[in-house]
Amino acid sequence: MKKALKTTSFAILGSALMAGPAAADMKIGITQNNVGVDSYQTTYEKAFKEAASKTDGLETVVLDAGGDVARQIAQMQDLIQQQVDAIIIWPTNGQAVVPVVRQAHQAGIPVIITNSNIADAGQEFIAAFSGPNNITQGEYSAEMMCEALDGKGQIVQISGQPGYTTAIQRQQGFEQRLAEACPGVEIMETQPGDWNREKAQRVMENFLTKYDKIDGVYAGDDNMGVGALNAAKAAGRAGDIAFIGATNFAVGYEAMERGEYYGSVYQSPVDDAEAALQTAIDVINGKEVPKLNYFDTPKITQSNMSEFDKPVF
Amino acid sequence: MSDTISEIKSGGEASLAKKYSQLLARQGILVAFVLFLVVFSIFSDRFLSTDNFMTVIRQASIIGTIAIGVTIVVIGGNLDLSVGSLLSFCTVLVVDLHDKIGPTGAIGLMLVFALLIGAINGYLIGYLKLNSLIVTLGMLSAIQGITLIYTGGQNVDIQNQEGTWFAFFGRGYLWGIAVPVLIFLGLALIAEFVLKATTYGRKVFSVGGNPAAAVFSGLRRNRMVFSTYLLSAFTTACAAIILGSRVMGSQNNVGQGYELLVLAGVILGGTSLLGGSGSITRTIIGVLILSFIQNGLLLLGYPYYAQWLVTWAVIILAVWLDIASTRGKIFTSFS
Repeated sequence: MKKALKTTSFAILGSALMAGPAAADMKIGITQNNVGVDSYQTTYEKAFKEAASKTDGLETVVLDAGGDVARQIAQMQDLIQQQVDAIIIWPTNGQAVVPVVRQAHQAGIPVIITNSNIADAGQEFIAAFSGPNNITQGEYSAEMMCEALDGKGQIVQISGQPGYTTAIQRQQGFEQRLAEACPGVEIMETQPGDWNREKAQRVMENFLTKYDKIDGVYAGDDNMGVGALNAAKAAGRAGDIAFIGATNFAVGYEAMERGEYYGSVYQSPVDDAEAALQTAIDVINGKEVPKLNYFDTPKITQSNMSEFDKPVF
Repeated sequence: MSDTISEIKSGGEASLAKKYSQLLARQGILVAFVLFLVVFSIFSDRFLSTDNFMTVIRQASIIGTIAIGVTIVVIGGNLDLSVGSLLSFCTVLVVDLHDKIGPTGAIGLMLVFALLIGAINGYLIGYLKLNSLIVTLGMLSAIQGITLIYTGGQNVDIQNQEGTWFAFFGRGYLWGIAVPVLIFLGLALIAEFVLKATTYGRKVFSVGGNPAAAVFSGLRRNRMVFSTYLLSAFTTACAAIILGSRVMGSQNNVGQGYELLVLAGVILGGTSLLGGSGSITRTIIGVLILSFIQNGLLLLGYPYYAQWLVTWAVIILAVWLDIASTRGKIFTSFS
């Protein structure tokens, strides 16, 4: 991955030299979802800018939609007007951006979707998707749950915000894989925690009231997982429960260090950003790229966590 | 206030049945509350237990604490929609400062900033007489912006979670009762006393009920309105202490949507959005109903969207009963 990046930057450097000095020979525009609202997106933007500045001959226009679909559509149109060589978009809404993605496609500008894919209707207009595979992440979590409980137990699930592709896909992957690989583990109930630690804590309190025996909790991200852990600790039941999350956060990493949290899925926003930029550069250079480019998001548990840096978010 | 109106309307010669139905309408929210408790207890054996009740009240304490201040603002004839992002801001601030300058300094400094924001709201609405909906809605996004700038989008966490006395506010127990509950009910008791038994309280009611008359009788409306916003900022700051201590960390949008939950609780309690009437006790009942609905439906195993539907239906029903009690009829004639 890093090597590939280096090779391309050399290639770009080479072509830049041939094209003559000074002028940037490719211009990439990016419109992001909502930078600043969470640490993942903030770190992503920083990493993207850093990777871009290290790439010679590349000029970037970095925009942020602030979570607003209308603003994102306007930004897409601006980028089309500026005739950039490629547009990277982190969709605020996978459905609503399809028409403007088509517009870019018709204007001959390749569109790369980053982080979370757009609706099926838009797939024919995009050059590539780059991001994590959330179904695989759900499957990994199911495998870790199975391992933690030795294939037998009763668990609850705290999912992400209803309607979010990431939430839906992780849940799907988790439930399917658990059913086939681990029939002895039963999901008693699923409730959304809205990616919110306090909400997850409340949901878990209610689960603890409702069920006398909970062997495991699967949370759609570590933020919610730690909320559930907080609730179980307050009820004095944390020791009996295996906590498994996704998107390893610093708090989840620390809870793992303390031995309170079983495992998670390591997803680095830095890898996410670099993969998106690389995919865009490859597309511009006319390289064959697969439609779906997933970057690696490995399992992280108490036993292998030393191989990973503590997440910065 | 609404009580007085319906009493005047019902007069002396009202039939017993009419009086009875009006009582039902007036106390509809209480009746609905009891009904909910009965239904949930029948269908879930987990519902009716001291443990569960304490859990629900503790869960309601964050929204409830904010609702105390907002009720006073609403009685004074205004709205406060900025409390959601103010809660985010205060929680982020107190959690972030905790590790930098210690819990005492963090709480103190956070309170100063919260009151400062309350004072800005109060000045714009009380002294400059700007529309409270617009000012606080604007403030809602302005404060969210400040929070994002402050954190740079990162989550903040308290490192030493076991060893700080800051944990007391969200996780501690006193006389066997959770501290958040004590803070919530303690503040509610004080606020209800101030509203019902002091001159200040009576002034808030008259400023909200009839601003023109209040000004003509020599009340300083601007000063009164200003003070109500200080109070709502203060109770929001108290809620932030509970929240920060309970979670021991904060996302920078943690309070998102709280402004509407709080307002729902206030409306459900029967405090009129037009000002001049309402009570803290009823707001508490409103907040508890919302909290019990969520808990009960979850214990019964209903999906989350059932909670949204039922919550909405209950609010509409409450508003309807409130209107019906003031006009003395359940339905209005088509004229």
